[in-house]
Amino acid sequence: MKLDYSPEQAWQPLPAAAWDAAAARHLLRRAGWSASPDEVTRVLRDGLAPTLDRLFPRQPAAMPVPKSVADFRSEAADYRRKIRQAPREQRRDLKRDFQQQARDALGDLTLVWMQFSLHPDRAAYEKWVSFLGNVYVVSANKVRDPAMLYEHQALLRAGGTGPAPKLTKGVLRSPAMIQYLDLQQNRLGAPNENFGRELMELFTLGVGHYTENDVKQGSRAFTGYRQRDGAFEFAPRQHDGSAKTFLGHTGHFDGDQAIDVIYQQPAAGTRLPALMARFYLSDEPLPDPHLAALGDWWRATGFDLHQLCLRWFSSRLFFDPQFRGIAIKSPQQYYLGLLQDLGLDLAPLPRRVLPALRQMGQPLYTPPNVRGWVGGREWINSATLDARRALVGVLFTPLNENRLNADEQRALARARAAGVTGFSFTDDRFKKLLPLTDAEVTTALCDFLLPVHVAPDYRAAITQFLAQGDAARRLARIRNAAITLLGSPEYQLC
Amino acid sequence: MKNLPNLLPSTRREFLRFSAKGIGLLAFTHYAPSFLVSSARAQIPAPGRDQPILVLVQLAGGNDGLNTVIPYADDHYHRLRPTLGIKEANVLKLDEHAGFNPACAGLHRLAQDGKLAILQNVGYPNPDRSHFRSTDIWETGSASDQYLTTGFIGRYFDNSCAGAPANADPLGVHLTAEVPETFFAEKDHATFGLSDRGGRRQRQQNLALLEKILHRPAGDDENANAGYLRHTMMDALVTEQKVQRVIADYRAGAEYPHTPFAQELRNVASLIAGGFSTRVYFVSLGSFDTHVNQFDRQNKLLQTLGDGLAAFQKDLAAHRLEENVLAMTFSEFGRRPMENDGKGTDHGTSAPLFIMGSRVKGGLHGAAPNLNLARNQDLTYGIDFRQVYATVIDRWLQGNSTAVLGQKYAPLDFIA
Repeated sequence: MKLDYSPEQAWQPLPAAAWDAAAARHLLRRAGWSASPDEVTRVLRDGLAPTLDRLFPRQPAAMPVPKSVADFRSEAADYRRKIRQAPREQRRDLKRDFQQQARDALGDLTLVWMQFSLHPDRAAYEKWVSFLGNVYVVSANKVRDPAMLYEHQALLRAGGTGPAPKLTKGVLRSPAMIQYLDLQQNRLGAPNENFGRELMELFTLGVGHYTENDVKQGSRAFTGYRQRDGAFEFAPRQHDGSAKTFLGHTGHFDGDQAIDVIYQQPAAGTRLPALMARFYLSDEPLPDPHLAALGDWWRATGFDLHQLCLRWFSSRLFFDPQFRGIAIKSPQQYYLGLLQDLGLDLAPLPRRVLPALRQMGQPLYTPPNVRGWVGGREWINSATLDARRALVGVLFTPLNENRLNADEQRALARARAAGVTGFSFTDDRFKKLLPLTDAEVTTALCDFLLPVHVAPDYRAAITQFLAQGDAARRLARIRNAAITLLGSPEYQLC
Repeated sequence: MKNLPNLLPSTRREFLRFSAKGIGLLAFTHYAPSFLVSSARAQIPAPGRDQPILVLVQLAGGNDGLNTVIPYADDHYHRLRPTLGIKEANVLKLDEHAGFNPACAGLHRLAQDGKLAILQNVGYPNPDRSHFRSTDIWETGSASDQYLTTGFIGRYFDNSCAGAPANADPLGVHLTAEVPETFFAEKDHATFGLSDRGGRRQRQQNLALLEKILHRPAGDDENANAGYLRHTMMDALVTEQKVQRVIADYRAGAEYPHTPFAQELRNVASLIAGGFSTRVYFVSLGSFDTHVNQFDRQNKLLQTLGDGLAAFQKDLAAHRLEENVLAMTFSEFGRRPMENDGKGTDHGTSAPLFIMGSRVKGGLHGAAPNLNLARNQDLTYGIDFRQVYATVIDRWLQGNSTAVLGQKYAPLDFIA
């Protein structure tokens, strides 16, 4: 990677002269899910700084708790007690019902989150919440409690605008994290180092910035942090309050103090920005001096996440043309971006939404391991590409309501009553393109949907396709051109 | 526009040759390590044609086993099925206790030829009566309280087929709109979906346009990810082209019925005869969810199933491929022994499962279900479906069933 400006210049605001439609599209696609023409017009009118204030609010909206998750939360303790007390034979059935309820609620959580984050005003912040969730990773494969997963995400959402050390201290108390990284088993005299290690390796410092001894010593500080029935508890008698020497400091550290020690390390300033670079910018790492410059500034803010977002997304470096149109969309972004580009609502049908995410490789709340989803080219193979094309096909096909079961019919009726109705794309939405010439339709489709400037022969192929056959079928040809374009390699980029 | 060939290269080798001449695609070689690796491997022969092939046939919706294999000599059967029950006189007999539904003439003939093993009363402990959950259980090979994210075939691929040359044919081909869960694996394996029910012409048109878009010289400024995407998609389309060509050129050795199911089996036969190194095919027939007026609906489905399978087997024999192929049916559950008031049946538990091939031990295996049941009571399985999987994995696919299924299951004796 070659950058034409110094580490100090890199993080200066984009010069006003460089703020144009192409820059606006880059911002909208990278910070959020897509760049619809209306949104582009809006941010150009508003300007960059006010737009970022809107996209990254100091006090982001809370996501409502899905009803099934709330039900699960209120019934979980009862259920667990019943299972403990039931005779062996019955226990299995109870457990199975309980697990099924958990899975259904997890599906709802996915749908509700997608619906919530689809709104253009919330897209960027919810993508940020996703990013934080891919740093402070927990997985439904181990944490089979959707209420804990909801709470964990809510913690990241509420804490994602404050100081990073405070957020990390919150994560230490997150029941989902306590379960996921075995803090429950981290006891006085018998430390479990899972949390302590991942905290330093993945969440805050990165490999090479701590020793095995730091893991051993540090893990003692995190003893006694546990959860019961989804609520945090500190067990003082399980906590190791004796002196530890950790990252060059000695003291009777508890968990919070240990986290403060971690944030005194220089690497704490660059770890999160490095992860942001991978998530938001490029598969290739940023040069160390550029990262260090941002890290030094960020430390001086007290590791303020809100300021970090504002600075990041207004910087010269972020808008560097070499980063535009080169990132591979995650399945989550592909799905939500498609819906936004097509002006569709998310169908409230788990059987339609969840398998598509899974087949594209990203069942939400279920990252493969504590490192999270690696992203980039890892998303792409012939099967996942096929799944992406299949999703496009599904969104262009009317719902077959005869094949829905009673639950689905009800969910659909509820959504419709709430005014959420556009679940698949109908040809008449293309009608406004009919008066245009074939070349103009091509331009409209390419410029609206594609993040990269495509070569003349790409456009020529589409124009030729539109010109074939009789006029009566032109609408269908426009649709088919759009379907093809949405499945093409160029649309996978952003 | 430059003078480019209209169609994609039809084989991987041609693709490479085009590329070597500098036509079109190879402007992106600067990123292409995986591509070059596979071209180096292009000389390695694909896995041999004689490797055993498994065809999975899903009976989606829960097939009623008791009206498929009829325990005609059991009075309880006639008691539980006052209107749906099939009279002894109409049964296609297998022995003095059991026989086929008259709609299963195709299956009956296969059994008489010794090419069909009928495994009676297959199920699992603590059965789940949800279509989706029970399908998960069958496709992943899990216990009923265990949630797996990989399928039993996917784990077989992980275990026995990893390291297949990158330019080989897909390991698994499914003839369903969605990738079956059973193909889900830890590692990346090429799988391929061949679903052409509906919209085929439109799909062809779109494909032609997609090919044009893909098949053009890369600009100098094309970024590495764009090149990678183009290459991966190209690869998938090359497979698709090859598949379509093999299917179009195929001369079947048997007359297939004009049902979508039979045509899909014909497509499977064409790929097998075309020398594809694919190990597992997945076909689905539905919907067996017969809560009301079951009789005609299930009969029609059973006839589709039997006639389709019989034609497939005959075709394989004509191409001397019989020895290479085993087909296995499964359904997420059987149905309740007692019929309901709507002349249908509700979700139940175990049911028979069929294994077809020239190397099976034909006829009935395992004990008939015990039908001495109270109102609305369910069957208790006799054979665990994971025993069937273990047998197929070890004795047919030459895999390691303990690794795939997580534990050892007592094998069955249906493969000669």
